[in-house]
Amino acid sequence: MWWYIGKRLLQTIPVILGATFIIWALVFLRPGDPILGLFGDKPASPAVKAAIEHQYHLDENFFVQWLYFLKGIFTFDLGDDFRGQAISTQLQNAFPVTVTLALMALVFEAIFGVVLGTIAGLRRNGWFDSTMLVATLIMLAIPIFVIGFVFQLFFGVKLGWAAVTVGGDWTVSKLILPAVVLGIVDLAYTLRLTRTSVAENLSADHVRTARAKGLSPGLVVRNHVLRNSLIPVTTHLGVNVGGLMAGAVITEGIFNVPGVGNLAFRSIQQGQSTTVVSVVTVMVLVYVLMSLLVDLLYAVLDPRIRYA
Amino acid sequence: MRLTRRQRLAGVAMVVVGGLTLAACGSDSDGGSAGGSDAVITVYGTNPQNPMIPTATNEVGGGDPIQNLYAGLVAYNADGSVVNEVADSIDSKDSINWTVKLKDGWKFTDGSPVTAQSFVRAWNYGANPANKQLNNYFFYPIEGTDDVGNTTDGAKEMSGLKVVDDKTFTIKLKSAESDFPLRLGYSAYFPVPDSAFDSSGKITKEYGDHPIGNGPYMLTKKGWEKAKQIAMVPNPDYKGAHKPKNGGLTFKFFNSTDSAYSAVQSGELDVLDQVPPSALTTFETDGDVKAYNEPGSSFSSITIPERLPHFKGEEGNLRRAAISQAINRKEITEKIFNGARTPAKDFTSPVLDGWTDSVPGNEVLNFDAAKAKDLWAQADKIAKWDGKFQLAYNNDGAGNKEFSEAVANQIKNTLGIDASAKVYATFDELRKDVTDRTIKTAFRTGWQADYPSMLNYLGPIYATGAGSNDGDYSNKQFDKLVSEASAAQGDARYKLITEAQTLLLKDLPALPLWYQNATAVTGQDVKGFVFTWQQKPQYYALTK
Repeated sequence: MWWYIGKRLLQTIPVILGATFIIWALVFLRPGDPILGLFGDKPASPAVKAAIEHQYHLDENFFVQWLYFLKGIFTFDLGDDFRGQAISTQLQNAFPVTVTLALMALVFEAIFGVVLGTIAGLRRNGWFDSTMLVATLIMLAIPIFVIGFVFQLFFGVKLGWAAVTVGGDWTVSKLILPAVVLGIVDLAYTLRLTRTSVAENLSADHVRTARAKGLSPGLVVRNHVLRNSLIPVTTHLGVNVGGLMAGAVITEGIFNVPGVGNLAFRSIQQGQSTTVVSVVTVMVLVYVLMSLLVDLLYAVLDPRIRYA
Repeated sequence: MRLTRRQRLAGVAMVVVGGLTLAACGSDSDGGSAGGSDAVITVYGTNPQNPMIPTATNEVGGGDPIQNLYAGLVAYNADGSVVNEVADSIDSKDSINWTVKLKDGWKFTDGSPVTAQSFVRAWNYGANPANKQLNNYFFYPIEGTDDVGNTTDGAKEMSGLKVVDDKTFTIKLKSAESDFPLRLGYSAYFPVPDSAFDSSGKITKEYGDHPIGNGPYMLTKKGWEKAKQIAMVPNPDYKGAHKPKNGGLTFKFFNSTDSAYSAVQSGELDVLDQVPPSALTTFETDGDVKAYNEPGSSFSSITIPERLPHFKGEEGNLRRAAISQAINRKEITEKIFNGARTPAKDFTSPVLDGWTDSVPGNEVLNFDAAKAKDLWAQADKIAKWDGKFQLAYNNDGAGNKEFSEAVANQIKNTLGIDASAKVYATFDELRKDVTDRTIKTAFRTGWQADYPSMLNYLGPIYATGAGSNDGDYSNKQFDKLVSEASAAQGDARYKLITEAQTLLLKDLPALPLWYQNATAVTGQDVKGFVFTWQQKPQYYALTK
């Protein structure tokens, strides 16, 4: 298995090369001139503009610029953005809070999604199942910014139960409300998925056999239904972590979370190509790591799966 | 290789731990800053994009803190009047050669004295293009610089600046400018201590992260915490006119004004100096906050370059006047901006000394459909209109899309021509086409003055060859009036400015639209809120 993990980690290298190249090309193709943008509505001095372009290799061709960036990655020196702020500091400030937020949202949706989904699946077509169906449909139908603003106004401003904004001095307790908002759509999805999967497994052959052997209903559900049902759910949750991090832009904006989504959004707006690609590189690492984790979890859940 | 269940779990755990180390790096938690006897006021801010060096900072995230950390030669009062700050006197006989004398006893917060050299060295640093300072443009009036404020011919220093002694220096300008001292309160002209420079003469990165100034406030030990806040406390050695009345300021960073507004409602933030569009209809009746709304110093217009077909000469003037009168400014300011804009009466701003709402010829800014049609028909007699009228805007500014489409619709409906709004995704995309002169349409323009003078709204935008003359307008008569006004004093000066504006109203190099209102909300317990002429809170006067 260690060899398998090593092999998978080695595979990240071409993935990073490819992803950074594509993103680099996209930011490069973006119209406009980020250096001109630095000057705002004041006239830009050609001499200063040329000096800044030279400093950040913007006067080189596209491919050479990309190589400079790669050199930065492999020497662990990402350098500065076009305004002279260290990119590594920006990443260090943005990632911890977003990772925490995404994991909290994941825990929230995993626990509630799996538990409620299992109950709904076991009591298929009962009143609980029907209630959950309606509830999840509502969750899926309301856009996240509506949920965000409503929760903020209701729980934050009116009731005062939760912090209205998070800010730079974030704590786990301040992140609870944003995490719930971020996780709510995926919660609905996880719930539906678990419910269907459990319902399907209940009528599977091996479950019937287990029942026939005289195992108690609790054991049957825990060991034979749930374990098998969790495989698709695990895939969904694992892949979702990356999505939660990248998709947090709106939630981060509403609750003022100084995280990755906003860093990326601002950097794209300003054409800060090096920052954008640095963010993407870390995101690619997260995705690769998560999919590896999911694959390894399969082996835990399903003894038939083996890696060599 | 066969693995036991335990080994598999160990593998999973390894990957999890690897992932968590990503999350663990660099999260520290520490809130609050040490305050004096009075309360610390928390104000809205954004993370400064540039190093906090006066000549490098050109956006509000860094600009607002810098205004509080430094004191210039002069300071601006809330009403736009100017008082000497570090300067004891700024005198000139011919408005070209200026002598600046400094007051005694001013110190930077590291203890070093503020000398003539502190100013001259900082300005020369800003003007030298090798230092890549974004504010170099501000030095263009001084001799030894080119049109955009760079030192000429690779010189390290401007020839117009001479240090006479510790407390005196002289400035020689390229041409007479009677209101030159008004400029000197702008942040680009702040002094910088010698300790900011390294041995090669560059301002260090450390200084940019933790600037040392001579202003009403100084940074706390933690000062600027990236992506979080900038905390400052009153500077005990400050001797100027704006002595802090509060126990300190903390600029809390926000991603959006929407979240900042919610923070003011709930009491997490004291002052937000920019009401988000989503709250504009409700903020004045919102019981959770105190609201402020008054005309401000930022001017919006549409520029129609002469090089566009049908916009040259006599025909062009008729068409511009027709379009101007086809726009119902009042309706847009009310319907789209909910009263957060005030229809323009001239090319400057009502917050300034000498402003009047009765510049001769400004009826061309009033909505008059019949007149507009008539003028358009007259222009059609000179040359038949073909093609379509487009108005370019950048979609990353709030309200731009809505007002551009409304203006285009009004033009279309009134004049019966094909008119539409043309979107640019970002500000810098629009600016690139405008700067390259490749733009083939009319476009939105705006101006926020750098110092409280009406001339700052005219010369830099409409004078022949001026740096921000995006429409390449050129009128010898206007140039003459502006340079005469620059050298004149008192009422004579305002008369010349009015004459110059009348010329602009005839030629309409840009169609004035409206003045942006200054809007703000504060917590219920915040007292002493006043707008400065720059639409900013008078930070030092805030109390709780």
